[in-house]
Amino acid sequence: MIASVDTDALLELVWAAPLAVLTVTVAWGLVIRGTTSALEAGRDGRTVPAALHALVAVIGAALFLAAVAFGLLIMISKD
Amino acid sequence: MENDIILVIVVVTALAFDYTNGFHDTANSVATSISTRALAPRTAVTLAAILNFVGAFISIKVAATIASGIVDAQIVTTTVIFAGLIGAIFWNLLTWYFGLPSSSSHALIGGVVGAAFAAAGADAVKSAGLLEKVIVPALVAPVIAFLAAGAAILITYRMVGRLRPGPVNRGYRIGQIASLSLLSLSHGTNDAQKTMGIIALALVTHGDLNPGDPPPTWVIVSAASAIALGTYSGGWRIIRTMGSKIIKMDPAQGFSAQTGGAAVLLTAAHLGFPLSTTHSITGAVLGAGAAKRLSAVRWGLAGNIFLAWILTLPCAAAVGALTYGVSHLFGDGALGPLLVSVALVAALVVLFGKRISQNLALTAADS
Repeated sequence: MIASVDTDALLELVWAAPLAVLTVTVAWGLVIRGTTSALEAGRDGRTVPAALHALVAVIGAALFLAAVAFGLLIMISKD
Repeated sequence: MENDIILVIVVVTALAFDYTNGFHDTANSVATSISTRALAPRTAVTLAAILNFVGAFISIKVAATIASGIVDAQIVTTTVIFAGLIGAIFWNLLTWYFGLPSSSSHALIGGVVGAAFAAAGADAVKSAGLLEKVIVPALVAPVIAFLAAGAAILITYRMVGRLRPGPVNRGYRIGQIASLSLLSLSHGTNDAQKTMGIIALALVTHGDLNPGDPPPTWVIVSAASAIALGTYSGGWRIIRTMGSKIIKMDPAQGFSAQTGGAAVLLTAAHLGFPLSTTHSITGAVLGAGAAKRLSAVRWGLAGNIFLAWILTLPCAAAVGALTYGVSHLFGDGALGPLLVSVALVAALVVLFGKRISQNLALTAADS
């Protein structure tokens, strides 16, 4: 009976799902941290740190959008 | 003529199940967003309903049979489908009444298993399929979501914990709108397909559709509309349970729970290992709460939810079997399902009619 369970897919799920969750979490965390820090640095007139924080936010946003796009792709290509 | 009546009864019952599926599962998408005030309640359910509707059109690769691989396809008649649907609707309404999130898919499978058992005995049920498609996913989904959302909230607090809470909370509320949208779209795609599959199977049995053909447009539109209407109605009792009774969550926890649940579900779908939305999101809500502080979770309520999950299959199966048995008393024709439908509708009218009149009386007394 156990043979009917796709153990390969199950094992892959055990590491892939948490990895997906952590990727999205870190990506959005970068957006928030980057944006907040960039705004604070900008208010203080520190332009270089502000630009670097903004870059971190942009990278986070790109990663987050890529994750969302991948999610949409999974839905569209569902068997 | 008799076959036409059975077809109409199955289609109407399938759409009724789809409606209960919508309002029962609204909480999965919107509860955390409402709880953290990412969106106003009515705005959240409206957005979820629209995306449920749209999601139903994204993929229409409808399964030819329901409970495929779990019951013997040869014995699945329209009466078995009808009885299975009644079992699932009963369980959805009961768990909604007690405000407990539970899987509509497992309820449907349970209903059909019970009806198949009553129709053809234990040989009609494939226990290996039941293990693969119900029991293992039911164990895996909440555990993975719990651990992943727990890790997610710890990382989140580490990343943004020292920043000013105002902008951070605003940021996570915006993120929640994205995850709500993705979850609702995914829910529409997955769950409306179940109803399309049921109606398509009834049409095949009736001779109106060839096996393997895509469902007609009216089937897609009606299934999409029923689930969207159900979602728009909002299963507020379950929304309250998931949104504020299990844990009191902040926007970062809401984001971790919702995004964690969505990421687990979509990864599982990608690997061809479909999990229950309800189990994943509930597990993620518990994980996001427990990782912050174990005592923040109302474990007694969590225990009731787990109990409901354990009882889903046997209870829906028992009602499915009973419905099949009662319908079968009146022969194999339309009379049995027709009488059962009339009796159930009458019972619901009496129950809800009493409740509405009580509410009206209370309102009048207050004013």
